[in-house]
Amino acid sequence: MRTAPILGRFRGGYVAPAVLLVAGLLYAPFLWTAYLSLTAYDGLADPEFVGLRNFTRLFDDPALLTSTRNTLIWVVGTMVLPVGLGLLVAVLSYDIKGGAWFRVPFMLPYALSGAGLGMVWSPILSHDGIANLLLGTDTAYMQEAPHNTIAMLLVWTWQQLGVNTLLFVVGLQSIPKAPIEAARLDGASGWSLFRHVIWPLMRPLTAVVVGLALVAGLKTFDIVWAMTQGGPGRNSETLAVMMYRETFVATKYGYGSAVAVLLTVVAGLASWLYLRRQVNG
Amino acid sequence: MIRRLVLVVLGLIWLGPTYLLLVNASRPADAYDPASAWVPSGDFALFQNFSTALERADLAQSLASTALYSVVSPLLGVLIGAMAGYTIVVLRLRFGFLWFMLIFGGTIFPSQMLLVPLFIGYSDAGLYDDRFGMLLLYTAINVPLAAFVLRNFYSGVAFSIFEAARMDGASTFRIFFRIYLPLSMSALAAVFILEFTFIWNDLIFGLVLTQSEGVRPVMVALNGLITDVYAGTPVPVGLAAGLMVSLPTVALFLATQRLFARGLSLGSV
Repeated sequence: MRTAPILGRFRGGYVAPAVLLVAGLLYAPFLWTAYLSLTAYDGLADPEFVGLRNFTRLFDDPALLTSTRNTLIWVVGTMVLPVGLGLLVAVLSYDIKGGAWFRVPFMLPYALSGAGLGMVWSPILSHDGIANLLLGTDTAYMQEAPHNTIAMLLVWTWQQLGVNTLLFVVGLQSIPKAPIEAARLDGASGWSLFRHVIWPLMRPLTAVVVGLALVAGLKTFDIVWAMTQGGPGRNSETLAVMMYRETFVATKYGYGSAVAVLLTVVAGLASWLYLRRQVNG
Repeated sequence: MIRRLVLVVLGLIWLGPTYLLLVNASRPADAYDPASAWVPSGDFALFQNFSTALERADLAQSLASTALYSVVSPLLGVLIGAMAGYTIVVLRLRFGFLWFMLIFGGTIFPSQMLLVPLFIGYSDAGLYDDRFGMLLLYTAINVPLAAFVLRNFYSGVAFSIFEAARMDGASTFRIFFRIYLPLSMSALAAVFILEFTFIWNDLIFGLVLTQSEGVRPVMVALNGLITDVYAGTPVPVGLAAGLMVSLPTVALFLATQRLFARGLSLGSV
C-alpha cells in the first residue's frame, strides 16, 4: 500500500462545504438579482427581459429622490455624530481614573437591536409621547420629513456611541505614550494637545471607524423599518427600505432588484472613493 | 475637572432613555401614562410583563427559533470556515488564495442583493418559512468571516506541529479536529460571539423568509409587536419584550468579555 502524501489526498473536500454554501447562497442570488434588475417580474409569470427600463423608470421615480436624500442624511449623520461623539467621549475618559465607569451609560444602549430601539423610542417620540410632554412642545417628530429621519438618526447615535467609544479607547490606549508626554512637558494641553498630537496618531483608526459608518449608513434598514416603516407616505424611506417596499410590498421583483443594484453600485463606489482618498492621504 | 463634568452631563443624557426603559418596563401593564413616565411605579411588574409578552406575541416560540439559529448556525459556520482556513493554509490547497478570495468575497454583498432570489428560490425549494432554510442561510453568511479569521490564525501556527503529527500517523482530518481546532478556541469563540449577535439581531432575512410564529426569528416578532403598540399592546409589555430579547446578547458579552478581547487580538495578525 502506498502511504498518503503528507498533505493528504482529500483537501478539496475540506473547502467544499464553505465554497458550496457561499456560492449557492451568496454568489448565485447576487448574480440572479443583477439579472432580475433587467427584467419585469412579478414572481408569477416568468421574468421578461426589458433591458434598462427599470433603471430609466427608477431615475424618474420621485420616491428615489426622497430615499436618496434620506440615505444621504443617514450616511453623513452616522459618519459625523456617533463617530465624533464617540471620539469625544473616548478622549475625555481614556486616561482618567475610573474612566471605564464614566463610559457605562454609553455602553448600555448598544445591547438593543434595531427592532429593540423602535420599541423603546416609539413611546418617547410619538405625538402624545414623553418627549413632547417633557419639553412642553407639540412636535410631530415622526411625521414630517426630514425631522423623522433626523430623530431616528439621533436614536441611532444613542445606540452606536458606546461601541465607537470603545474602539477609540482601545486605540488611544495603544498609541505611543512618548510623544504625548513630550508635548505635555512642552506645555501643550487640552485642545492643542489633542489637535496636534493625539489626533494625528488617531487618524488611521478614525478612518476605519468612519469607513464602517459610511457602509452601514448606506444600508440603513432595521431602525427605519422598526420605527416608521419608511412612512408616513414614504417620506422617511432609505434606499434599503425602498428596495424592500418595491419588492415585497408592491411585489415588483424586477424593479426592486434594480433598486438593490443601484444601492450596491452606490455602496461600492462610495467605499472605493473613500478608500482611495484614505490611501492617497 | 471639566472633562468629568462633560462626561457626567453626556452620561446623564444617555442614561435618560435607559432609565425610562427600565422604569416603564417594570410598571404594571395598565398603569402607563406618558405624563408620569419618569416616576417609578410602586408595583414591580417586570416579570409579569415578561410573561405577558411571551404569550401575547408568541415570543416564546420565536425566542426558541432564534436561539436555535443563533447557536447552531455560527457553530456550523465557524467549523466550516475553520476547515476551509486549515485546508488553504496548512494543507496548502492549490490556488488556495483564490479559493480564499472566493469565500471571503461573500461578505461584500449587501443583503438587499440576496433577498429576491432567496425568497423565490426558497419558495420553490420548499425552504420558505422553514427552520432548516433559515439555518442554511445563516450558516452561509457566517462562513466568510470565520474563514478569514481562522486563515489568519492558522498561518501563525508552526507547520512543524502538523509535520510531527503526520509522522506519528495522524490523518489530516484528525489533526484538524484534535490539534488545530482546540488550538484556535479563542479565535473561534470571538467569531462565534460576533455571529451569534448578528443572527440574534437579524431582522431583514427573517422578514423576507419566514411567516409563521414557529419559524420567524424574535426580532420579526418584536417588530410586529411595535406596530401593535398602537393596536392594543400596552407600552410596558412592549418595553419588557424589547428588554427581554436584548438580554441574551448582553449576557453573552459580559460572560465572554476577556475571551473576546483575546480572541480578536489573536485573529488580527
